[in-house]
Amino acid sequence: MGFGRYVTARVLWAAVVSLIIVTVTFLLLAAAPNPAVQRAATQAALQGGDPAAAAERVRELRGLNQPLHVRYLDYIQSVYTLDWGWSQSRSQPVMEAVTQALYYTVQYSVPWTILTIILGPLVGVYSAANMYSWKDHAATAFAFFGYAIPNFFFGIILLLVFGVWLEVIPIVYDTGVPVFSVENAIQLAVPVFVLVTGSIGAVMRVSRNESAEFQNADFMKTAKAKGVSPLRAYAYHVMRPTLVPLSTTLVGQLLALFIGSSLLVEVVFGIPGLGRLTYEALLAQDTNLVLGTTLFFTFVAVIGNLLEDIVFTVLDPRISYDDR
Amino acid sequence: MSSDQPLLEVEDLTTTFSTDDGTLTAVDGVDFSVDTGETVCIVGESGSGKTVATESITKIIKTPPGHVEGSVRYEGRDLLSLPEPKLREIRGNEIAHIFQNPQEAMNHCYTVGWQIAEALQIHQDVSDEAARAKAVDLLDRVGIANASSRFDDYPHEFSGGQKQRVMIAMALVGDPDLLIADEPTTALDVTVQAQILKLLDELQDEFDMGILFVTHDLGVVAQIADRIVVMYAGKVMERGGVLDIFDNPAHPYTQQLLECLPEFGGTGGGIPGTLPDPHDPPDGCRFAPRCEYAEEACRTGGQPEEIEVAPGQRVSCVHYGPGGSPSVVRSEEFGPANGDETGPTGGESGVGPADD
Repeated sequence: MGFGRYVTARVLWAAVVSLIIVTVTFLLLAAAPNPAVQRAATQAALQGGDPAAAAERVRELRGLNQPLHVRYLDYIQSVYTLDWGWSQSRSQPVMEAVTQALYYTVQYSVPWTILTIILGPLVGVYSAANMYSWKDHAATAFAFFGYAIPNFFFGIILLLVFGVWLEVIPIVYDTGVPVFSVENAIQLAVPVFVLVTGSIGAVMRVSRNESAEFQNADFMKTAKAKGVSPLRAYAYHVMRPTLVPLSTTLVGQLLALFIGSSLLVEVVFGIPGLGRLTYEALLAQDTNLVLGTTLFFTFVAVIGNLLEDIVFTVLDPRISYDDR
Repeated sequence: MSSDQPLLEVEDLTTTFSTDDGTLTAVDGVDFSVDTGETVCIVGESGSGKTVATESITKIIKTPPGHVEGSVRYEGRDLLSLPEPKLREIRGNEIAHIFQNPQEAMNHCYTVGWQIAEALQIHQDVSDEAARAKAVDLLDRVGIANASSRFDDYPHEFSGGQKQRVMIAMALVGDPDLLIADEPTTALDVTVQAQILKLLDELQDEFDMGILFVTHDLGVVAQIADRIVVMYAGKVMERGGVLDIFDNPAHPYTQQLLECLPEFGGTGGGIPGTLPDPHDPPDGCRFAPRCEYAEEACRTGGQPEEIEVAPGQRVSCVHYGPGGSPSVVRSEEFGPANGDETGPTGGESGVGPADD
């Protein structure tokens, strides 16, 4: 099977996976009591009306009286046409709320991801090249520290030190500053640092251990015998095979952090991004908005894994396209 | 052709490694030389320091970092005193290596063409197209069919023998004067082995290379060697022309090595005993603990001085030295099972009574 067909097959699989997830969310929602219906019924009862009739009216209004398969098709269509419903708590379409929050999430996620992807493997391979030296031990200590300390806790500590005591960073996130400005860079520096320490540890450890294997491989001796300089040997002959197992870890780490930790970090630093949007939607029991953010994260994860699969085969030519 | 000076001249080469158990001396004061157009085989069992000796020449020893002393003169230059960048210009360009395990010797992430072109472009400022043309040319020369279409294939798409051919092509990019081949046929099956040896032989004439060939396989030695250096536990036991040594092995170790060959009536039992601990080698001759002719004199002092037993054949054995009696060692009939009668008599006549 050629590369093109492989990619096509993977994309189709990703589409199937997303469809399954969308279906599951639909079934969960269909099985759960609808808060709007309940509210209408309560309202009617309080005002002396007929709760059953009121509930029926709302169900009719929302199309809930239609058979399940009609609602399902309708739901699927809405999800894939990005019509994700109305957010009660924010009084705006869900898509609009997600887009607005994404604007803030991207501002710290992009630098954080880039730093992790670039620094992690570099420090890891450097660590392996100087294995058991103080440099390696320092890098290892940093990796374990970042991996072990919870991001939100580390964030609070740094806010306390730099925001409250030293007063070099603002405590409250200011949404008014331009994206590309010194003020924005300063207020995002600490959240980015916190997230990098959380994600880079695993990347460093994996790249260190994998490259330790490759730097002693026979092909490194061949490279040396060819006259390849150590720097070039590491850049080409160690880094490349290391990236294969690393890409798995990298995608998993980044996605886990993006979805899990960013929520807590945004709450700590007061960034009105996707994490906080989800958090507030949960508190406000805003079903549509919770669904919207869940779907968003789901799609990010599906696309991330799709990219990983493709990158994997590009990096390691031995991985066969067949039977997959 | 070089005149009086050998292409490669190694003197008193000593390579040590610092380990947790103390200093490990892998190669202990070894001398040998290679002339242009000549094939010199370093022979010995695994662990005798053959590979370390050859990798010390251009200092490509992997890990742990070995400490190389002595003198390695290549075309008049002392390689051991050259700074690393200068050495890098020689590696893969003037002195090329091929290795034991072609399966692992290439990076699985790059096409074979890329890896050959890399070797070329490190040393020569050539365009990608020119590098490709040269690589295809070399692949074709080493017997890879459809070379131009196989340029973009990955190592795992080649068989073991083909991989070794590719490695040879990679070694030839700089028209090397010296090819160091470290057991290049050990990992290959016998028919492929013969093809590779034949190819090396042809290429040696074509490129006018000296070949330093490391092997533990005396069958291979018989096919390709001009001269042999027999190593044991980091020391040279015996050296000489291939015919002299096969007909008339002087050192008990060489004799026992040859006896392992089926043609010499070998039973596959091997030589009893194991190599000495390289952290703490025995006094006297390194082979004494396993030698059936060892006497008190064999177990004191250092490795015996090399004594010339025939023109060009020298042996490091007490029994050939002053006060020794070669007949102790050469008492047995030696040679192939149907062999000629030169063995014992030839040996006796070749020994000078006072050679120091």
